[in-house]
Parts: sequence; C-alpha cells; structure tokens
Amino acid sequence: MSSIQRKILTLTTVIIVVMSLIWIMLTFYNYKTQVKYNEVLNRYLLLNEVSRSSNQVITNLNNYLLQPSSENLKELEDSKKSLVSAKYEVFKVRNEENNFTLTNYIHLMESLIETTDRLLGIEQDDEETVKDLAEISRIGNYISETTLTLIDMELKTHEPFYRGIMEQSIELVKLAIWMILLTSLLLLIATYWFSLSITRPIQQLTVAASELSKGKFDKEITVKTNDEISFLAKTFDHMRNNINNLIQQMKEKAKLERELQQNKIILQESHFRSLQSQINPHFLFNTLNTLSKKAYLEGSEEISDLLVSVADLLRYNLKQIDRSVTLRDELMIVKQYMEIQKARFTDRLQLQEDIDESCLGVGIPALTLQPIIENAVIHAVEPSVDGGVISISVKDDHEYVMVQIKDDGMGMTEEKITQILMEHQVQTEGHSTGIGFSNVVKRLRLFYGRDDVISINSTKGVGTAVLLKIPKQRGEKHD
Amino acid sequence: MKKYMYIILVILFVSLCYLIFTSANIVLSNDLSLPKGIKQADSQYRLVLITRDMDTTFWNKVGIGALRQAEKEGASLEMWGSYSNNPEEFLKKLELAIHSKVDGIIIQGLDTDEFKALTKVKASFFGIPIITVANDVPMKESLRRTYVGSDQFSAGKLIAMQLLNDMGEKGKVVILYDSQQEYYQKERVRGIEAVLSIYPDIELLHAETSESRDRVISSVRDTLNQVPDVHAFIPVNANMIGPMVQEIEKRSQVEPYFIYTFDDGPESIPLVEQGKIDGVIEQDPEKMGEVSVEQMIKWLNGETVPLDINGYFTNIQILKGENE
Repeated sequence: MSSIQRKILTLTTVIIVVMSLIWIMLTFYNYKTQVKYNEVLNRYLLLNEVSRSSNQVITNLNNYLLQPSSENLKELEDSKKSLVSAKYEVFKVRNEENNFTLTNYIHLMESLIETTDRLLGIEQDDEETVKDLAEISRIGNYISETTLTLIDMELKTHEPFYRGIMEQSIELVKLAIWMILLTSLLLLIATYWFSLSITRPIQQLTVAASELSKGKFDKEITVKTNDEISFLAKTFDHMRNNINNLIQQMKEKAKLERELQQNKIILQESHFRSLQSQINPHFLFNTLNTLSKKAYLEGSEEISDLLVSVADLLRYNLKQIDRSVTLRDELMIVKQYMEIQKARFTDRLQLQEDIDESCLGVGIPALTLQPIIENAVIHAVEPSVDGGVISISVKDDHEYVMVQIKDDGMGMTEEKITQILMEHQVQTEGHSTGIGFSNVVKRLRLFYGRDDVISINSTKGVGTAVLLKIPKQRGEKHD
Repeated sequence: MKKYMYIILVILFVSLCYLIFTSANIVLSNDLSLPKGIKQADSQYRLVLITRDMDTTFWNKVGIGALRQAEKEGASLEMWGSYSNNPEEFLKKLELAIHSKVDGIIIQGLDTDEFKALTKVKASFFGIPIITVANDVPMKESLRRTYVGSDQFSAGKLIAMQLLNDMGEKGKVVILYDSQQEYYQKERVRGIEAVLSIYPDIELLHAETSESRDRVISSVRDTLNQVPDVHAFIPVNANMIGPMVQEIEKRSQVEPYFIYTFDDGPESIPLVEQGKIDGVIEQDPEKMGEVSVEQMIKWLNGETVPLDINGYFTNIQILKGENE
C-alpha cells in the first residue's frame, strides 16, 4: 500500500473511531436514562392498573347483580383475576417511602376481593346486598384515593430524581456539543498537521522544480519524508544531477571547439604569413645551393655553410609550421639560426647552451623556440654595441622539461610582459619567420592546454628570461 | 501571528476541556437513585392515629409522642385525620384504616352512631383493636380496648375548683356544651357539677350549642341577653372558646368574666397567653400519644390482656391567665 494512502486511511479511521466512541457513549447513556425513565413510568402504570382493575371489578359486580348471567359472572371473575395480578405486580412499587401506604393499598384490594366474594357467596336479602355494594364502592373509592396518594407520594419522593434527570439531559446535550467541538478542534489540528505532512514535500518539490526551471541546477533537492514524494524528490534530484553533468560536458565541448577554432585561425595566419615569404622556394633553395657551392668553390667555406643554414632554416620554416616536432628538432633549427645570426653579429652574439640530452624527445609545436630566440636577439643583442649573451638551458624537472631562454639585454617593461602573456598582438620588428611572440604564446597554450606553460621574468638592465614549462606527457584534452 | 494562533488554540482547548469536565461531572454523578425498594413487607405493626383536628398544637403533640413511642417499639405509625373537625372525613379515614387492615387504630373518640358502628361492628369484624385517645367513647358503645388521656371528670372538677377559687362561692356560671353531648363533654360537665352543686349560691346555667361558629356566637349572644349578670363561662368543648370570646368582646370587656376551658382546641392557649381567658386545663398530649402506642403494642403482643377498661389517665393541671 502506498504511504500517502495509508496516511489518509489512518486519519479517516481515527476520525471514525473517535466519532463512534462518542456516539456509542451518548447512546449508551441515553439508553440508561431511558431504562430509569421506563422504570418510573412503569410504577405509575402499575398503580393506575390497580385503580382501573378495581373499578372494573365494581362495574362488573354491578352488572352481574343487575343481570346475573354466566357471561357477566365470567367477566367479573376475569376482572377479579386481573385485580389479583395487579395486586402482585404492585409489590414492585414498594419502597421505603410508601411502605405503609402500599401495605394499606394491598389490604384494600384484598378487602375489595373479600367483600366481593362474600357478596357473591352468601345468599342475602336485598337490603344487605345494597349495603355491601355501597361498601364495595366505598372501598373502590378508597383504592382510587390511595392510588392518588401513592402517585402523589411518587411525585414527591421522585421529584429530585426527575429534576436530576432533566438537568442531566440538558447537561448531556451540552456535553455532546462540547465534545463535538473539542473533537472537531483536535481533528482539525490533526488534519492540518497531516495535510502539511503531505503538502510540505510537494511544496518543497515545487520550489525545487521552479528553481530548476530558472536554470539553477546546482541546488540539491532534499525532501525528508517516507512517502512517494520523497521517492519523487530523489528521482528528481538524480535527474538534476544528470542534467548538470550533461551541461558541464556540453560547456567543455563548446570550449574545446572554440579553442580548436582559434587554433585553426592561428595556423592559417601562420600559414599565410609563411606563404607570403615563400617566393618560389625551389628557386630560392636552388639559388642558395648554387650560391653555397659557388662560395665553396671559391674557397669561402664559411659563406657556403651559412648559405646551407639559411636554406635549412627556410625549409624548416616552410615545411613544419603545423606539425608537432621534438625539442631536438627545435634546438637544431635554433642552432642553425644562431649560426646565421653569428655571421651577422660575429663576436657580439654569444650562445650558451646547457642541454640535458635526455629531455630532447619531448614534443613541442614547431617554430616556437626560434621566434623567442629571435626576439631575444632583436631586443637584447641588436641594440647593444657590445652585443649580448643568449643562454638556452633544458632541464629535467620531474614531470616537466624546463626550457629557459635568457638574454642579458635591457629587459622588458611589466606592461609589455603582460601584453605578451595576454596574447595581444605585439608590433613585430622584422622577424624572419613572420611569427610574433604572442603567436608563440597562443600556440603553446593551445598545444599543452594550460596557461602556465610560459612565463617571463625581466629585470630592467639585467635581462629577460623566458621559461617554458613543458609537460612530458601532453594533456589528454588535446589531440 | 502563528504564536497568537497557538495561544488561541490552547485557550480553546483548555476551556473546552473544563466545560466537558463540569458537564460530565453532572451527567455521570450517580446521586440519582430512586428510594430504596423493599421486596418484603416487614412484619412490624402498622398503627394509625386518627384525629379530627389535624395540625393543631394539641394533636401535633399527641402525634409527636405517638411517633416517638412507635419508633421506640419498632412499629410504623401514620397520623391520619380530618382538618377543622370534619366528622365525615374523619369517619372515612377510620373506615379506610379498617379496610386497610392496619394492626391497630388509635383514635380520637367521637360520640356518634356512625363512629360507634364502625368501631363496634366493622373493626371488630376485621379484629382490629381500637384505643381512644384524648376524647373517650364508652367502652360498651364502642368496644374500644381502652382509653388514654385525661380523666375528664377530674378535669371538670379541677376547673370548678379553680373557678371557686377565683370567683368565690357565689355567681352565675354558664356551661357551654355540644348538642351532640359527647361522652367526654358529659364527663367534664359531670365533674364541674359535682363540685359546684355543693355551693347553693352558685347558679349553673347550661347552654347547648353546636360546634359551628355561628351557632356558638348566637347562643353566647342569647345567653348574654337572657342572663346579663353572668359571672363565668365554661365551654367544655375547647373549640368554642374562640367564637365565644369574640362575641363577648363585641359587647364588653372580657376581663370581668371568669372564663375557663380546656387546651385541646386550637385557640385556647393563645387566649390564655393574651390574658383574655382566665385559665385552661392543661393536658399532656405527648404523654397521651406515647401511652396509647405503648398500650396498643402491649395488647398486640399479648402482654397485657385485657387492657384497663377505664383507661390510662394522663396528667392534668390548670394553666392560669397572666393578668389574674
């Protein structure tokens, strides 16, 4: 049985039981009063019966004396019998108050019967008969009078009783009214509590539902009852959790998609930029190679090597912009770039390397280190007459590979650092690859899916250090 | 708001509980019991005391004495009777008592044929003993078992002596009595005559009247008209004293007359106290009641058979008016 139904049934049963109890009580009491009342009435009826039957005897006797037929005699005998039975019945009426009078009463009846018998039994002359008849009628009168006296006595002795009964019956009505009022009050309160116990969870559920409909999915739904509503609430809560999770997933998916979109845009941009500089690469490569061989043949090996480096750098640039490469590849291209730059700056540019070879296998987006180095060269070495030192260090730091690119230039302003880290487009100053610092930052963050992958430390007049914190295991959110 | 609701509910609840409690107390109180029923009539004697003058001082006292004695003896006794000297009603009560087969009847004697017929024939037929009280009816005529009350002859003598004492040995004395000539009145008159006839200077005048007030008044008037120099009145029926004094008062002062009577009338004692009459014979009604019941029980128990035919006399004494 469901629990709300059980609750309703319980309440109804209680109401019915209480009402029936009151009803039974009142009925029983009424019945008791009725019995008493009947008892009293019966007394009067008994007394009246005596009076009636004695009068009947006298009437029948008269009839018989006037018309001595057997029919009349039979009637007389019958009435006598009824008087005798009335006499025995009237014993019941005896009590302390009317004892004396009642004894007289019974004897009067006996006298009546005896006198009647005597009148019937003995042959008498008319005068005697008339005398006896007169006496009998006198006795009849006495009986009637005594009946009245007895009834009067009954009234007197029972007066307090009657008044009591009347008072009690009035009080009984009052009592019934009070009882009904009290029970109604109690039942009203009980019903109120009971209905509250049903409606309160529903209300809670309604509130929760309206919250949900407003889009608040993070509020827990708790309904502490032991009925169906609680079950409903639990299910509802479960649904809320599911929706919540789905929404979360959807949000993440959307974020991912947005990132992917951005990534693509950047790549396209890089592509476009690189394509701009891609003026017939084969011609350029061939020309460079020819130049290299020519320089070699003319004994200028240095120029030949430089030209090879330029060609390699150019090829790398064109080829691998949208590919993941290893740190090793990146470092190699950095070296080639540095060689080109060294040819330019000669002794003014020095490169210090501190590389942990074991870390070189870690994946990194292409053309990330080179723009940073180039940036350092442009800002730290170029403006200085004495040139500068650029140091690259690769270190193993548990789960990460720490790559630091340090220069000893004049440093950057805080403003510029935040600009770079916020991925704003910074004015490019003649980069070879056409790829700016901010582009690198963006790509690194997208690639590793975390913001702290790059950090910049700069002290005015001392230098700038760019630290890349490359996780050995790439985030799973990325493909 | 909610707090007020709670307070109202609590007050409602408490007051309803109180009302229910009071109502239930009244409804469930069991003091409503009918008088105790008696299944078996107990075998105590049922006696009836019948008088013609219910609710007079004299007969109330008789009743008190009788009831007291009956209670002592364990008999039940009821006092029946007529009011204001109604013989018809009185005789009806007697007949009712006889037909009710009471064990004993104590009755104020009435010297009439009907009374005698009832006592002599009917009561004897049913075997009910009768004792006369206060007023006697001769045994031979009524077949009463005995008489309890004052010795009326002695009472008459006592009143005559008092008269002599007050008035002297000379004067005219009017004796008022019933035309019915009841036995007890005759006895009284006999007592008075027995004393006064010795004195030759005292003239006794008999005025016969009936008990009705008008008749008494008219006969007193007649007497006063015929014998204006009367000195003393003795109404032997105490019921006559009221109208008599009233009539004398109409004419003159009451004080000059010597008036004596008996105390078994309703007006005797107040008149003595007022000083309008000179003396009454004070009887002992309570004793009469007591002795009558006592003797009746004795007879019924067979302790004293037969009872003294002459009767059991109770004390008498003279009560004088205050202004004498």
